[in-house]
Amino acid sequence: MLQMTRAISEANEAPRRATPAALLAPLLAVLLLAALPPAALGAPPAAPDAATPAAAASAPTPPGETAAATSPDSPETRGLDQEIQDLKKDVVDLNKDLFILEEELLFPANTQVAVFLSVDVGQFFGLDSVQLKIDQKEVINYLYTPREVEALLKGGVQRLYLGNLKVGGHELVAFFNGKGPNQRAYKRGASLRFEKGVGAKYLELKIDDRQRKLQPEFEIKDWE
Amino acid sequence: MSWQRPNHPEWRELAQRWLCVAVMALGWSLAAQADAPYALIGQSAPDFALHAAVGGNARLSEHRGEVVVLSFWSSRCTPCRTQLAALNRSLTTYHSAGLAMFGIGVDDDPAQAREFARSASVSFALLLDPAKGVSRSYQVDNLPMTVLIDRSGTVRTVLRDYSPESEQLYLQQLRALLNE
Repeated sequence: MLQMTRAISEANEAPRRATPAALLAPLLAVLLLAALPPAALGAPPAAPDAATPAAAASAPTPPGETAAATSPDSPETRGLDQEIQDLKKDVVDLNKDLFILEEELLFPANTQVAVFLSVDVGQFFGLDSVQLKIDQKEVINYLYTPREVEALLKGGVQRLYLGNLKVGGHELVAFFNGKGPNQRAYKRGASLRFEKGVGAKYLELKIDDRQRKLQPEFEIKDWE
Repeated sequence: MSWQRPNHPEWRELAQRWLCVAVMALGWSLAAQADAPYALIGQSAPDFALHAAVGGNARLSEHRGEVVVLSFWSSRCTPCRTQLAALNRSLTTYHSAGLAMFGIGVDDDPAQAREFARSASVSFALLLDPAKGVSRSYQVDNLPMTVLIDRSGTVRTVLRDYSPESEQLYLQQLRALLNE
């Protein structure tokens, strides 16, 4: 604030301290411009446009030169390609930084809760959708496509939900919809009471096969 | 005090004039609605994930990089069946060129939509939108309605009816998008 005040005051005082030489400089510049011929100052914009095609037509250019300039292997084109690639890389880096910044701002570590989902084997259960409730409020209802299920069966772990919760006790309820044994509609739920501390909280919904009962098993794991 | 219906010739004339103006205004508004450009042209196609009546569940964002055709249908719409069959033929031809196709049913009753979907015998997924969230986001105002989405996920063309002319236009637009 002090610096800004000083800057403003300096700007206000500047005209008062102007020397006679400084006052004469604009006058001299105007005189110099008036003395110069119009060609030196630049012709009207329409004139060069009209003259350019005629000049281009009259000035013969060697055909090899033009071909070399536009060929994909020319050094100029390669240089341009490199510049484009560098620009693309810069954009990707910037996007990454913005994404991280956004996550840090929207989901600070002290209130962050993330829920992940993983599927193991999946012989007795074909996942269709998962509904997630935190403190009896639905936070997400996610529908799975065959590609997503395939990715989960290959060992992928999906971040199903990312949100904020205040410190204290909370309840997470997950409903799993899909096809059970014998391709019948199958719906099961799992719940977990957890304590949200100061740091980020990570929970995992696990879908597993219970071989002894020939039934799927649903579990919520708290990653401390 | 009694209220009597005015029976004067002036009143009648005035009422007739008002009626005429109202009818003309209604006609103009309907014509303007019919000619209204589709607001989503050039916009990013709204993403959706829907249950399927036939085939697997589908999410639009999974098909980025492919030309996607969305066809909105209903079991009560007679030309929809013909159009779905025509779309199926184009899918058979252009599938290998990177074409994905989804039919989106807007029926209120999913059972009725499923029955229609089973009888339609098409090779692409017929999805159900009983809540009409997707239909609303795509501003469906006529059935059948076909939306063409390019490889970058931008809505490029919409066809609001089905006729031999519109089928030709569809094939022309589809080829142009596949060649991009």
